[in-house]
Amino acid sequence: MNFGAIYKFRGKATSKNPFWAPVVFLLMVTIFPSTGYSESTAGISFNDQIRPILSDHCIQCHGPDNKSRKGDLRLDEREGLFGSPGGEEGVIIPGQANKSEFIARIFHEDPDEIMPPPETKKPLSRAQKALLMEWVNSGANFEDHWSFVSPQRPTIPMGIGATSNFLKNPIDHFVAAKLISLGLEPSEEADRRTLIRRVYFDLTGLPPTKGAIERFVNDSGENAYERLVDELLSSERFGERMTLAWMDAARYGDSSVFHDDGVRFMWPWRDWVIKSYNNNKPFDEFTIEQLAGDLIPGATVDQQVASGFNRNHGTTDEGGAIDEEYRVEYNVDRVKTTSNVWLGLSMECGQCHDHKYDPISQKEYYQFYAYFNRSRDRGMQTRNGNSPPLVQIFTPSQKDQLAATRTKLSQAEKDLKEKQPGLEVIKGWASNALQGPPKEVPVMGKWHLLGSFKANNINQGFNKNFGPEKEKEINLSKKHGGKSWTEKPGYKDNTVIDLGLTDNSVVYLYKKLESKSEAKWTASLGSDDAIKVFLNGKEVFKKNTSRGVAPDQDKAIITLKKGANHLVLKIVNGGGGSGYFFDLRDSEFTADLLAILQKKQDEWTKEQTDKISKYYLDNVWEEGKELKNLIAKLKNDEKSINDSVVTSMVMGDQEKPRMTYILERGHYASPRKDEAIQPNVPSFLPDLPKDAPQNRLGLARWIMDEKNPLTARVTVNRYWMMFYGDGLVSTEGDFGTRGAPPVNQELLDWLAVEFVESGWNIKHIIRLMLTSGAYRQTSRVSEKRLAIDPNNRYQSRGPRFRLQGEFIRDNALALSGMLNDKIGGPSVKPYQPPRIWNEVSLNGGLFYKRDDGEKLYRRTMYTYWKRSAPNPSMVAFDAPTREKCVIQRQRTNTPLQALVTMNDVTFVEASRVWAQNIITAHPDASFEDRLNQAFIEATSRPADKIRTRLLKALYQSQKEHFTRNPELAKSLAESGEYTVAEGLDKAELAAWTMVTSTILNLDEVLTRD
Amino acid sequence: MNDSNFPIISGDQLINRRDMISLGARGMGALGLASLLSPEILQGAMSPGEYTDRFGILEKPHFKPKAKRIIYLFFSGGPSHIDMFDYKPSLRKIHGMELPDSIRNGQRLTGMTSGQKSFPCVAPMFNFKKYGQMGTYVNSDLLPHTASMVDELSIIKTVNTEAINHDPAITFINTGTQQLGHPSLGAWLSYGLGSPNRNLPGYIVMISKGRGQSQALYSRLWGSGFLPSKYQGVKFRSSGEPVLFLTDPAGINKSSRRAMLDAAAEINRARFAEMGDPEIETRIAQYEMAFRMQTSVPDLTDVADEPESITKMYGPDAKKPGTFAYNCVLARRMAERGVPFIQLFHRGWDQHGNLPNLISKQCQDIDQPATALVKDLKLKGMLDDTLVICGGEFGRTIYSQGALTEKNHGRDHHGRCFSMWMAGGGIKKGYEHGETDDFSYNIVRDGVHIRDLNATILHLLGIDHEKFTYKYQGLDQRLTGVEPAHIVNPILA
Repeated sequence: MNFGAIYKFRGKATSKNPFWAPVVFLLMVTIFPSTGYSESTAGISFNDQIRPILSDHCIQCHGPDNKSRKGDLRLDEREGLFGSPGGEEGVIIPGQANKSEFIARIFHEDPDEIMPPPETKKPLSRAQKALLMEWVNSGANFEDHWSFVSPQRPTIPMGIGATSNFLKNPIDHFVAAKLISLGLEPSEEADRRTLIRRVYFDLTGLPPTKGAIERFVNDSGENAYERLVDELLSSERFGERMTLAWMDAARYGDSSVFHDDGVRFMWPWRDWVIKSYNNNKPFDEFTIEQLAGDLIPGATVDQQVASGFNRNHGTTDEGGAIDEEYRVEYNVDRVKTTSNVWLGLSMECGQCHDHKYDPISQKEYYQFYAYFNRSRDRGMQTRNGNSPPLVQIFTPSQKDQLAATRTKLSQAEKDLKEKQPGLEVIKGWASNALQGPPKEVPVMGKWHLLGSFKANNINQGFNKNFGPEKEKEINLSKKHGGKSWTEKPGYKDNTVIDLGLTDNSVVYLYKKLESKSEAKWTASLGSDDAIKVFLNGKEVFKKNTSRGVAPDQDKAIITLKKGANHLVLKIVNGGGGSGYFFDLRDSEFTADLLAILQKKQDEWTKEQTDKISKYYLDNVWEEGKELKNLIAKLKNDEKSINDSVVTSMVMGDQEKPRMTYILERGHYASPRKDEAIQPNVPSFLPDLPKDAPQNRLGLARWIMDEKNPLTARVTVNRYWMMFYGDGLVSTEGDFGTRGAPPVNQELLDWLAVEFVESGWNIKHIIRLMLTSGAYRQTSRVSEKRLAIDPNNRYQSRGPRFRLQGEFIRDNALALSGMLNDKIGGPSVKPYQPPRIWNEVSLNGGLFYKRDDGEKLYRRTMYTYWKRSAPNPSMVAFDAPTREKCVIQRQRTNTPLQALVTMNDVTFVEASRVWAQNIITAHPDASFEDRLNQAFIEATSRPADKIRTRLLKALYQSQKEHFTRNPELAKSLAESGEYTVAEGLDKAELAAWTMVTSTILNLDEVLTRD
Repeated sequence: MNDSNFPIISGDQLINRRDMISLGARGMGALGLASLLSPEILQGAMSPGEYTDRFGILEKPHFKPKAKRIIYLFFSGGPSHIDMFDYKPSLRKIHGMELPDSIRNGQRLTGMTSGQKSFPCVAPMFNFKKYGQMGTYVNSDLLPHTASMVDELSIIKTVNTEAINHDPAITFINTGTQQLGHPSLGAWLSYGLGSPNRNLPGYIVMISKGRGQSQALYSRLWGSGFLPSKYQGVKFRSSGEPVLFLTDPAGINKSSRRAMLDAAAEINRARFAEMGDPEIETRIAQYEMAFRMQTSVPDLTDVADEPESITKMYGPDAKKPGTFAYNCVLARRMAERGVPFIQLFHRGWDQHGNLPNLISKQCQDIDQPATALVKDLKLKGMLDDTLVICGGEFGRTIYSQGALTEKNHGRDHHGRCFSMWMAGGGIKKGYEHGETDDFSYNIVRDGVHIRDLNATILHLLGIDHEKFTYKYQGLDQRLTGVEPAHIVNPILA
């Protein structure tokens, strides 16, 4: 046997579990293949053949659901079927169909007696009845549901007669044993050109470069293939590829789903996943941090970010929404996603009633739900960004800037305190404050009012000049906008005047002041809402604010010239009440302060002294003013640094956990308050680990407990699906009693145990799968194989399937040389047809703003994912909306896909740029040589005779066509934004573009063989 | 073998091409489905995969269908049943009166009016007259055309839903549940019944903009949920190319496209010979269908060949792309070409304020075209086997949202009762179903839940909603969900 190079474990796995080293492995090997899993001696397997019938036809009324159970009979348990010693009699007497009530009822002819009852519309077929009878007669063996029993490492089948060339590692022994039992043999190994393309797409999602292909094909060293796999597992592309699959399961999106489906930013979580896969973070840590990273004592920022896994669900911002309804909905989603992804269970049934098929009661559902029901996030969230709880992720330079700003800020605050002048200084100032030449009070005219004028909103009203603002002298007979000044004798100074304006309107107030000399005065102002003051056509004060009016809200210093002065106030009402306040003061002091200052200082009360001090420090102390300005600026800086810091939504529990109750029929408003529900796990699965805390962290540890029968199986099955097309259990998200039985349970269990014992080493288990003989088989298929193993469920050949949509686009970008290989960061907006967003968005106002330049060519996993209207090219290729967790993508084959790869500008541009590169990179080469280069890049193989002939004919006819139609050639040769190479013959380039576009549309390019 | 008359169809019985081919090699008997005996397949005129696409997974209906296709006019936002169809003279008496607690009956309200201190009832600020043989009340100011065809319609006044906000409600009525991830009605039908026209999609969606507040739509409303994605609705667009990516890029004309497809097909055939994977043959067929769509779709959307007499019926906007009227004309053209499920979304029915003005504009846009559609189908002899459905995700409250003035008011969302109409294949003509109370607030008799509505729609297409299931997450999922659903027999002809 050839095991190839053993993968070097990273991290803890290395020291903990060098488990499957050959020597240990050989000890476990027995001489003869083991059986005993699904085949019983009687030839009828309960789990494979009988349970599915019971499940489809009987269990809904005779199963775990307490409420809908009929006749108090359970057919999903041994006791119900066969009775218990000393208890109820069973409905089946093994070996005696003719004495078994069960058989009598299914064959009964009376519609009132026959089972299942006709009204259920689930009749048994004759074949099913016959099988059940045979099963009873042959002893009625019963098995617990396979996936609920912890896997044991099965003995590796030996001496199975498969060629030793096929048997690369234990996987192959299991596969070969199965194939031989079906009368098949493994297929031969695929050639190296096929293998390298297959393994590149599977591990990196990208095609191999020509250089990589030639290196591998000519590598005569030992274990060339294993070395290739290791190289790709260490490539950072591996993390991206694995993350893309995880994004479906984690329902990742860049928008909030419900109602407005607004923007959110969860890409730091995505970056965390990429990094984790690349660092080969063991799957148990990977899980625990995503389910409960926030609860790990002393959680790092990274661990908190990881917990955002359960913030990826949709959230609402709908005005009429009821907070509690959605808060419950979010936790329901978390239960569904968590149980689906890690346990392969459809627990969601338990929301409304006991599960009808799997042993999960409604109470157990709410025990599981209780782990999530303590989270702090609210039902009503935002349509604009991230909702709390969240974590800030500082870059090193942001950290430095913030620290520097804070240092300066505390210094300034300290200075302000320490440098404050003492009372003597203030009193010294106060004793001189009223000095100065006396002023003569100006003669004031009456107030006049102009308006009102209608504004669109307060800002527009504030900014727009409706007429008199720049007039040096006011002419009271002049009209503005058709309106005239009117005298307002009732408008008194030093009192609040109500203006009674409608919303969004503007008025001007005017009075004339005759001054005997040039003099400084203080206007004390108040306004509802915004105000401007003009003196002789010059703006001397403005404040755009929304407030109610009160005396002395603002102060404006106005310098009157000798003679007539024209004073205009502008009042802008945004909404609600409106009014103003005006008083001319001969000094900067209010009457209150003036009175104090006029008193003797030794008669000041404490309160009066404080008032004077405050005034001095706020208005007179120059250094203090500067410090205050500095502090305001630094606080502003601090805020803008904080605002520029990226955040990510995280899980966070309440300090005092919310109580959980069973919700009647799952309805948020119907809690059954008679019984408080504590967090716990379903009783048919192992208990919580002893030291597990009673929170999500405990739940996460339980999920990753090695006694858990589901987690490892579900996970290795998902990896198997990624590389073999389908899982060993074909219902990848359902390992319950209604799920498909595994096609090869020994193999699945062996992999599951291996995974756990390797320290949950993801790269190790994937390496095993990809270096197996089973994976390396050719995907060529004969009629015979197709007949016996139509869907390749038994791995009788190499897996062959269409690339997923993201890989198809990435492939085109890579071949064209345009691919921007930046890893991680915010999502980008590549080409998308117009109106995809605004056609469906709230009030049609949301437009897709395409990015430019190299952001157009990022890997597709970074395409901005708006979940109510996702990128249509990817949707055509079966990308789910990611509104909900998806474990298994569909893989369809439709005309709309053909339209995308033929006509989407992304693909047309890629064809054009690729063609351009082929021509310029091989300036003097023949058509055949150029085609060969292109074909190797696209398929790893040179073009054979047929392909060369067909594509050459296409090229020639198109060259001729484009020479005759230069304007068509020009259009095609300039498609997309990417730089057009200069000096190329446009007809030549267009003809080549037809060739490269044809190649991109070939089945062998869209498919990984 | 399933020996019952009508097989329960579930996902694991979904036959894909590989199964078909393998069964072909092993002998046809193994699967025992009549489709395998189809002459088209035996003669090699159609691949088994194409056969399923064309005839659907049900392969034959559970019983004789009354309708072969559906045109669903969906008014998004919540059209006011009170101001359109559910009128009674007694409403005039309660105008201005506070909504009695006995009527509201603890009903939950949306967050938009739950804080309101007063709930004054509002009678429609429009005139209503009796029309047709049954003397059906219709808003004579806003819906004169619709009024003229009441004898063709069954108006259901008692449709109801639990949802009270747009997102959950519109998801509920289009996918049968407010939980996300489920297939739309149209996707279920495409899956079950296939698409007889090989050159057009089996489920087409068109959107038109209204004149009021437009609530968001979501691709899930015509999505395939857990069904394979090829069953999702294909959105036809009002300007530019009607189907995304349909048009050849600048510089590639038909002859270039043909040359490219021929070369690709031949290389793909060579690949099939090398690899033996039947999926390759399917791909060749899909590229050919894409090419045919490039012709059949523009032919469908070019309304220039419609006679003046017909476009006139649909009103002044009939030839203006993007309008509801234009989409109605297209809907009829699609129906003629055999598209089985056509859904029009007309937006802008969310009148929380300024309702009298806004609903007038909305009705102006839909009244004549919707009526013309029914009449046109009748003229062409297609109304008998085309089911036309019209309605929104919920109705509106009898009480005013915001202040009630002499000429103005708003209405909040109301799910307890609202009105829809149906016409055509299998539907009783000139009939009103169900009754609401004096406040058009609660159902007095014959409520029709969304489940019942959907069960009835399936029934009209020959499908037993209880037997039409798809196995997903261990459950036999169905459009109508787990709660009992009832066919609304009285509206059937």
